Amino acid sequence: AKHGLQMAPSVGTYTAHWDGYLDRRTDHADTIREIRKWSHKDADNYDDFKQTVNDITRFIRPAIDIPAPDPYGDPHEWLDYAGLAKDFGHLPLRTKGALLDLITGSAYDFLSRWFEGEPLVATMSASGIIGTFLGIKSPGTGMVFLHHYFGEIDGSFREWALPQGGTGAVATAIANAARFHGATTRTDAPVKQILLKGDRAIGVVLESGEEIHADTVVSAADARHTFLDMLPAGSLPNDFERAIRNFKFRGSSAKVNFALDGLPTFTAAPPGNGHLMGTVSISPSPDYMEKAYDDAKHGHPSHRPFLDMLIPTLVDPSMAPPGKHVATAFVQYAPHKLAPEHGTWDDIKESFGDLVVDTISEFAPDFRNKIVGRQIMTPLDLERTIGLTEGNIFQGEILVQQMAFNRPVSGWARYKTPIKDYWLASSSAHPGGGIMAAPGRLAALEILKSKAGDD
Amino acid sequence: MAAKKQKAAAAEAPRARNSADVIVLGGGHNGLVAAAYLARAGIKTILLEARGELGGMALTADIDGVKAPMLAHTVGRFRPRVARDLGLAGSVRLVEPEVRSFAPHPRDGSSITLYRDPKRSAEELEKRPHGKETAAAFLKIDGRLRRIGAYFEQVLDGVPPSLDGGKSVAEMLAGFAFRKPFTDLKEGDGREILRILPMSASDFVGEYIQNDEHLLAMLAWRGAIYNAVGPMSPGTAATMLFDGITGDGADGGAAGQTVVAIGGPGALATALADAARGFGAEIRTGAKAVAITEQDGRVTGVALASGEEIAAPYVLSTLDPKTTLLSLLGVEATGPDLRRRLRATRSTGVTSKLNVLVDKLPTFTAAGKGEAAQEKLRGRIVILESILGIEKAFDASKYGRISERPIIEALIPTLIDPSLAPDGRHIVSCVVQYAPAVLKDGEWDETTRKSFADSVVDQLEHVAPGITNLISARQLITPADLQNDWGATGGHAMHVNEGFDQFAQWRPLYGIGRYETPIEGLFLSGAGTHPGGGVTGAPGANAAEALIRTLRRAAD
Repeated sequence: AKHGLQMAPSVGTYTAHWDGYLDRRTDHADTIREIRKWSHKDADNYDDFKQTVNDITRFIRPAIDIPAPDPYGDPHEWLDYAGLAKDFGHLPLRTKGALLDLITGSAYDFLSRWFEGEPLVATMSASGIIGTFLGIKSPGTGMVFLHHYFGEIDGSFREWALPQGGTGAVATAIANAARFHGATTRTDAPVKQILLKGDRAIGVVLESGEEIHADTVVSAADARHTFLDMLPAGSLPNDFERAIRNFKFRGSSAKVNFALDGLPTFTAAPPGNGHLMGTVSISPSPDYMEKAYDDAKHGHPSHRPFLDMLIPTLVDPSMAPPGKHVATAFVQYAPHKLAPEHGTWDDIKESFGDLVVDTISEFAPDFRNKIVGRQIMTPLDLERTIGLTEGNIFQGEILVQQMAFNRPVSGWARYKTPIKDYWLASSSAHPGGGIMAAPGRLAALEILKSKAGDD
Repeated sequence: MAAKKQKAAAAEAPRARNSADVIVLGGGHNGLVAAAYLARAGIKTILLEARGELGGMALTADIDGVKAPMLAHTVGRFRPRVARDLGLAGSVRLVEPEVRSFAPHPRDGSSITLYRDPKRSAEELEKRPHGKETAAAFLKIDGRLRRIGAYFEQVLDGVPPSLDGGKSVAEMLAGFAFRKPFTDLKEGDGREILRILPMSASDFVGEYIQNDEHLLAMLAWRGAIYNAVGPMSPGTAATMLFDGITGDGADGGAAGQTVVAIGGPGALATALADAARGFGAEIRTGAKAVAITEQDGRVTGVALASGEEIAAPYVLSTLDPKTTLLSLLGVEATGPDLRRRLRATRSTGVTSKLNVLVDKLPTFTAAGKGEAAQEKLRGRIVILESILGIEKAFDASKYGRISERPIIEALIPTLIDPSLAPDGRHIVSCVVQYAPAVLKDGEWDETTRKSFADSVVDQLEHVAPGITNLISARQLITPADLQNDWGATGGHAMHVNEGFDQFAQWRPLYGIGRYETPIEGLFLSGAGTHPGGGVTGAPGANAAEALIRTLRRAAD
């Protein structure tokens, strides 16, 4: 907490269902009891599942902190991985098998090996589709699921946490650290173009016209901005440019924030407000989730979307006047590319907001009446205001073919780019998105290593 | 040498009739290939087939005096080395029409024809809107697929390597057999393989074909046919890569392969059965296995429905992996973890077969008339519109419904091989997708079957007006039939779904993807193992060779 970051562990997940609910909290025995309500088999299998996932995570976790070795790269790039390969050989078959299942298969199929209860399978499989333009039954979503389990706080795996003061607090704390070590940070300084001299980056030009010269330019923007928007046309090799154009961004989610003058009442819920303290998930069944994807595949917002809602004012009451609340909902699917009949996201923004209200109200009928304000961030808004290409929150889809040595381009996954002194440090690089900050760290280390080599 | 020793030992020891060195389960093409390889190595082999006839899913049916492909209608990927090893050259004849596939658009009257010669395909594509770009892009993807196909050609014949780096010399050699052809590839192609394998067919093809929706769907469909996936499902590009395999005698590329056996697919099965018997294998039909017997984790034989038991230290099963490991063996043998993982393996069948007997060759509007039309109709006739159209058809099946507008791949084998119907009648053999084995509302009863077959004929009528009135007989085989009559768990023609998630050494699952199983003496083969379904014979040959190596090691 040196630079002012306090993380509060997430307290649990409440899933609303038409015939009841599933309320999983941190207490192990309570969780098992809840799961048993839906399936005895699931409750019996729960510990085995957790064990398997922990084993996999423990094995794969070191890979996040090592740059991806290139299949045609210098053999020394593989040295860091030699231990990992040896460890793989020593894993029990069940762990190896489960790891392969996750890397190649779907989140739904993976979970079905242990579980059958509708809300449990649906809510857990949601980890496989966050920010992804695939359904829970699509192969490849196991990889996204695995990616989510990379979360590590203070040494405990798959512990998602809510920073006090919102996720912005993470950024503030990191900025404080950067400044503490002597970095200058400037906001409202949009970069127009990278300055090149021959095949070398020598600085940037801002929208204001100001030029800043530097030995090294590091871009934490996504791959499309970094290579296609900020470089003069024709500065990249053809193959590389084509590969960047083929890098997939398909954003699939939206964010809707609500100001409420009271807490919503879910039809099926335990007594008290404990279930509202953690994640409130509208993911009642696997078919519900898959149908939400079907709509998106054909260019429609899901008629009944999956959503994860947080009510941060329950954790940090200082965020709103007494009795008032803020609810923030992650909503999927909101496909960036709409079918022609919808027009643009600006055209359907409000009707999409209504649809989100309808969806929550189906399970909490008084939700509708508690709303005093709402703010909708469509994929188009995410693209325009935050600069996320196609509104993709991971700066490039978490697809198996876009991970490790293929992120963002095979042969260019170690933060270097075809332009000398121009580096990529965003989530478009290994190991990808999520607030892990791993690409930034790994890129910085590679740059330092390269500088040391220059001397 | 070892084979001779084995043979001599087998001849010397007096044996009960009801025992063998190896029992092969299943008399489809893979079972027959395996039995032939085993017998050829001097191993006493008994093959058991539950049905009354051999051939499995490669059968020739008789419909009112006309020979029709009961299920599989092409045998394009049959491994040339298997044909050579088993000496099939004289006994079965394969024909490859110059036209690979013809796609009449169901609504706008246009069509695409792809030929064995990619340059000819490109010339035709040039005439379409944005034709210059599309033709150039087609040649690029075709070249890529051929180069990558040449790599896969070399890894189909053998046991996929262990991912543990190899614990024995044999394993290291297997790894080498996979790696060597890879390192021989140009770097660009090698990198592309590692990127493309997990992709969806539509993403992969879409990188090349950007302005021709119909062609995009036609090519990407190769990644979804026979499987409960859409072209947008990740992993379908891997299926396409296998389909594009190039090698001696087989030649895919972007257009895929179209090869038929003269006399129908059953002719291949007959040739294989003759070869197996010729090498000394014993083949029994009407012999349904109900259990694989084992003791202390070691195979002891097979129990039949008749009550008979056959003793053998080795069993090679070409039945689907779920039947073999979940139905024929108990939990004490397979263990809870393997059972759990195997149960969740994807094996839902969504593909049906409809054979339509017509009095004369129907007119496909987009093919034109006369000789030219006949040439186009010799390839696979693919009826689809767009990627999203296929996805929509797929979506229905996910919830237990039959597609309103199913996707059809038809073949008119009687046009390629007139001996099948000497009197001028024709068979339109249709692979139809998507209709699930288990329906959410209702059953596969006569009413459902009739309305499903009607909807397929309706689709045909769009592109071949008048075909309805030419039909004199129809034969429909649904996934439910595949499950009930062919014993494929889930009714899947490829036993378990194909794609990158059930691929190579993790087909059907990691740990049992190298033909050996945790049950000593039990070998898995058939479409549910590497390199998967289709009439290739490769799973049968590879598994048999793995078993032969084990036997020889045991004999040493």
